[in-house]
Amino acid sequence: MNEQISNQELNERLTLIESMMQEGRRTTGRYAWSFVLWGVAYEVAIIGATWLHLVYAWPVTMVLALVATIAGFSTHKTKSHESTAGRAIGSMWTALGASLFLVLFAYGFSGRMHETQIFVAIATAHLGLVNGASGMLLRWRAQFACAIVWWLSSAAACFITAEQSNYLLMADVFLCQILFGIYAMVLEQKRLNKVNCHA
Amino acid sequence: MPELPELNPIVHGKLRLALLSLLATVEEAEFTWLREKTGSTDGNLGAQLLKLEEAGYIAVEKKFVQRKPQSLYRMTEAGRAALTKYVQALKTLLGGAIEG
Repeated sequence: MNEQISNQELNERLTLIESMMQEGRRTTGRYAWSFVLWGVAYEVAIIGATWLHLVYAWPVTMVLALVATIAGFSTHKTKSHESTAGRAIGSMWTALGASLFLVLFAYGFSGRMHETQIFVAIATAHLGLVNGASGMLLRWRAQFACAIVWWLSSAAACFITAEQSNYLLMADVFLCQILFGIYAMVLEQKRLNKVNCHA
Repeated sequence: MPELPELNPIVHGKLRLALLSLLATVEEAEFTWLREKTGSTDGNLGAQLLKLEEAGYIAVEKKFVQRKPQSLYRMTEAGRAALTKYVQALKTLLGGAIEG
């Protein structure tokens, strides 16, 4: 059959394989909305707790964000396919959520939360860890750059004042959650527009 | 002059190649997801999946989830080997064309 096949057709087949494999490997892009959601939730919680002095700003916003995330994931049919990388990344984010909820809630209710900097250092270190691992796994430089921002902030939080740490956390959340989430959503949309009938 | 490799006609079909490429990256996939990714019709997709299944390149598991039928497809070792061999053959053919 080879005689009847042109080089153009062979190249088309290679392109088809590549594009389909990219489709199968898509993971984080589908969940970009949750970055934005959590980013907004963090910002609301920081403003509520720091400047409006609302005692329950953190627990209330976090629980609401969690409920919205669960509702969002249940409407996005994520079980339609499963890749090893996708499951690994999903597991990391679930573990991050459990870890942050447990530690920060315990810290908040312990009555020992006198230094906001410690809170910021713990939260940013956790976020650096998961974004770093995900960025390396997906070979996604933008996400790894976010991880570096989180890690640097975690270290910086140990040396700055409580007020500065609040501003730092707000800036990080805006950059690495909201802006990064919007960027990932734009990429996802572009990819969806590009994917038409290859087959 | 070295002999040019033959392209496997089962893998070479455009939709079948797309399906194998998709299934190579996931552990398993639903029929609906494959349809969405390839943009094919139910009938054509079903027919091509059946050809791949008959060739032993994919395996299907049919079950009911909340009383709805669900077909889960996964690539077999034979399918992975066939796709790898096909890609190597493609590269050899294209390489031969470049070298003239």
